[in-house]
Amino acid sequence: MSALPTVGDPAPAPGAAPVQPAVARPAAPLRTAPAGTRRRRQRRRSWAADALGLLATAVLGFPIYWMVSSAFKDGPELLSYTPHWWPHHPTLENFRRALSREWFWTNVGNSLIVVTATVVISLAVALLAAIAVARFDFRGRRAFVACLLAVQMVPLTALIIPLFLMLDGVGLTDRLPGIVLTYLSFVLPFSVWTLRGFVLAVPVELEEAAMLDGCTRVQAWRHVLFPLVAPGLVATAIFAFIQAWNEYVLAYVLLRSPENQTVTVWLASFTTSRGTEWGPLMAAATLTALPVVVFFVIIQRRVVSGLTAGAVKG
Amino acid sequence: MAPYLLVAPAVAVVLGILGWPLAQLVAISFQRYGLAELIRHRGRWVGLDNYASIVRDPDFWLVALRTTAFTAVTVLATMLIGVGLAFLLRRVRRLVKLLLTVTLVFVWATPVVVGVSMWQWLVDYEFGVVNWVLGRIGVDGFPRHNWFEDPVQGLAVVGAVVVWGAVPFVAITVHAALSQVPEELREAAVIDGASAPQVARLVTLPLIRPVLNLVVVLEIIWNFQVFSQLWIMVGGRPTQDYQLFSVYAYTQSFGISQYGRGAAIAVVMVLALAGLSVVYVRRMLATEATS
Amino acid sequence: MTHRTVRTVRTAAAALALTTVFALAGCGDDDAGSPSAATRPDKLVVWLQPEAEKGWPDLLATVNKAFTSRTGVPVEVQTQQWDSHLAKLDTALTGRTPPDVVELGNTETTKYLAAGAFDDLGPHLGDFENSGTWVQGLKDSCTFDGKVMCVPYYGGSRAVIYNTELFAKAGITTPPTSLDELFADAATLEKTFGSDPAFSAFYLPGKNTKASLAFVIDAGGAIATQDGGTWKGALDSAEARSGLASFKSLVDRFSTADRTGDESKQDATFAKGKIAMMYGLSWEPGAIIDPASGGDPAMKGKIGVFPMPSRTPGKTMPVFLGGSDLAVPANSPNQELARQWIAEYTSTESMTAIAGTGLVPNTTSLLDRTPPEAKPFAEAAQQTFFVPVAPGWATVESKGVLDRLNVSILTGKATIDEATTTASTAITETLNESP
Repeated sequence: MSALPTVGDPAPAPGAAPVQPAVARPAAPLRTAPAGTRRRRQRRRSWAADALGLLATAVLGFPIYWMVSSAFKDGPELLSYTPHWWPHHPTLENFRRALSREWFWTNVGNSLIVVTATVVISLAVALLAAIAVARFDFRGRRAFVACLLAVQMVPLTALIIPLFLMLDGVGLTDRLPGIVLTYLSFVLPFSVWTLRGFVLAVPVELEEAAMLDGCTRVQAWRHVLFPLVAPGLVATAIFAFIQAWNEYVLAYVLLRSPENQTVTVWLASFTTSRGTEWGPLMAAATLTALPVVVFFVIIQRRVVSGLTAGAVKG
Repeated sequence: MAPYLLVAPAVAVVLGILGWPLAQLVAISFQRYGLAELIRHRGRWVGLDNYASIVRDPDFWLVALRTTAFTAVTVLATMLIGVGLAFLLRRVRRLVKLLLTVTLVFVWATPVVVGVSMWQWLVDYEFGVVNWVLGRIGVDGFPRHNWFEDPVQGLAVVGAVVVWGAVPFVAITVHAALSQVPEELREAAVIDGASAPQVARLVTLPLIRPVLNLVVVLEIIWNFQVFSQLWIMVGGRPTQDYQLFSVYAYTQSFGISQYGRGAAIAVVMVLALAGLSVVYVRRMLATEATS
Repeated sequence: MTHRTVRTVRTAAAALALTTVFALAGCGDDDAGSPSAATRPDKLVVWLQPEAEKGWPDLLATVNKAFTSRTGVPVEVQTQQWDSHLAKLDTALTGRTPPDVVELGNTETTKYLAAGAFDDLGPHLGDFENSGTWVQGLKDSCTFDGKVMCVPYYGGSRAVIYNTELFAKAGITTPPTSLDELFADAATLEKTFGSDPAFSAFYLPGKNTKASLAFVIDAGGAIATQDGGTWKGALDSAEARSGLASFKSLVDRFSTADRTGDESKQDATFAKGKIAMMYGLSWEPGAIIDPASGGDPAMKGKIGVFPMPSRTPGKTMPVFLGGSDLAVPANSPNQELARQWIAEYTSTESMTAIAGTGLVPNTTSLLDRTPPEAKPFAEAAQQTFFVPVAPGWATVESKGVLDRLNVSILTGKATIDEATTTASTAITETLNESP
């Protein structure tokens, strides 16, 4: 029995202990019910759930489908009085145009650097702080927590100029470390808050039990808390990744040279006063959204399944 | 000593990066700070003038009211749909779950600029799929429905876009919280004779409550500050009856170059938000105390 | 800590750079045009809007190459976005290293001129070819308090773009020469093709304020008038109202466009072949046949242009002269070089090239260089008008006063009288507020 998080790819990681897929697990498995009845009950309940799940997928996914299918449509097909539900004359021209645009790969590289640095730093720093505020009572804890929240209430656009002045003072404008710093300023408080929730959701009794068994406090965190918080870490990582990956205004204002820009700024260059190059934009957007989805799948499989399953079992 | 060591890096980062800019922001809100002052880096202290001029601006109150209503509706909708999907994710078969999750992540990963443009297409006056479908099922004739003629309806469309973009975060976070609940606790409750709803109410919910509270607070904060979705949806030209707080502040700063007033609006926004979320924050700190 | 390290590194780098420059200067020729070696920057940073990169990349490359070979300073062009460039400009103006040359829309300049953001070009006007014959509408946007603080770059004229095929099918052989004729032709077109619900005889999105203002001016109205130091909104005059009434009637009777929308989609829509006429800029015929922006190459050869006729028969309706200016930020350390670059980029030769793309060059002396297909745009540009040159005008635009006027009139939320009174009051108040 494991508290395996099951967002996304439910396949167990190679080498991990076999894990019972949580897919069709009822909220409260009835121990006493014979296996056969349980199966049938699950199945019946699943049909309605599956239908609802598919409906939700269709509704939420339609704009995405429209984006991806538009990426394969040629000019006149992009807007049509009678909707073309799929590309009638599929073309890769939009992808070619998007990819041949200057700076694409450089800017994707920049985004990856910025995002990776932001995510790694903020998760590491935030996890420590989250444990502190969730597991200790210390003077100034409430103030700290409240301040982290208040910081997120400040509209980012209002901070553009002061942030710029500060970075300009230390020579960090138009440089990636400067962008990483500004991104940390909103990703980190968020991460502390989210992780704090996840740490709190782990019953403290489990750690206490481990300590009774002779673990030190740090060991208890490592072997009991960390595996249980892992799904939260993943969710937070994804969120941090997406926030940083999609940020536009600060990147546009703080980074000037085309070779230093991030991919969202590059994306914006498809829109000019002479109209938007819709086809290439959709192609480019599809391409830039893909890394996030890939990141998600990887992190899901490698980190979560493997790590938690192994740790909890072991 | 231990807790201080643990929070020290976070404090250092946040204070180091935001300390000075925030102090500047507050200072500017008490100054006359236009373009000329901005270039010379020197404002003129005017006390509470900026605040007074905001409060006297009839637009301000309309904007405040509109933003509050917008936030309330979108947060409620996001939470209902998001939490619903989180529970649903635990019930569906593997394939559906994979489809739904990938969709959620894709929605989330789509840059706001593009996601909003997509919606713009969907509700377009002439070419929109939504209007086409409505026309097909006989709701509207060809001179089609204009979603932005009435600001209430237009903001509802913007709200839908916001909810669409926010649901993945809620669904995935809450789902992660749900998977974190140790199965043993639930099983123990079942052995003790609890029914499924009872397990949900007595075991699952209390354990995920910190996460739920957190998500609500964050959604309040983000939806109160909605900017890009609105800005892009109305083509960067929001008329006054479409303005929400963030757009109002942005227009005052970068549109009109009244940076002092823009800063004052930002400060007021923070205060208003703090007021709006105080209930949840209290509740959150309370749960924490008992745990 | 970091602070000091960075400073030290910078100083070291600067010292090194200086040594290198001195070493090079020793063997290079030091002609009058190049700055003294000690002040020569490692590059000149130029912020341009996307038009240059898209419309005349070759000219830009030629100018930069010539500039670099003459001065030894490379030029870095950084393309900006119209949507958010002012936020970036405001921010950059506060920093230690602002761009050396910036481009601004001519409706955006005044508040910057008033704030002293740009270098006064007065003493150097002679350096710019054609500064004596600059197009008035553009020059006005560069002048504040009698001082010239930016250089006109180019303007864009508007005219009616029409579908020649639909015109022929409806039996219309000559373009209308008065507003009445335009209405009559539109009615004929509507009669011929009106059974198709997607057909539009005159496609005019509601937020096209450049069109509605043209009707106001054509009817003898004004946006605002200045008396002494005081502005007074004038959209509530009888003339302005009558102009807006014919604007509304054109939209009501012949437009299927979104009454709350802007012009961003009109070229792609025109490309569907169901629009007989629309009001557009000189590059738009090109966009209609460009598949990347939703256009259709099949429209090639079916696009015609004529100047928007006036309500006075035989005359053309005045056009709003939108355009761009180039300026040197007052705190740029390379003002001399920046001026030289602008001078080369706006030379007679460069302007001839820009006029060749169908735009209005910055000098009246080159107005006849427009290519034949863009002639109607040049013809329309004989009569232009401009927004009030007041620092507060940016506020009027940011508040969307004119957008709101158009939308409320067209959607029937307010009568013309009510809406114009509201707008005019707002304009009066805003323009007279101290900046």
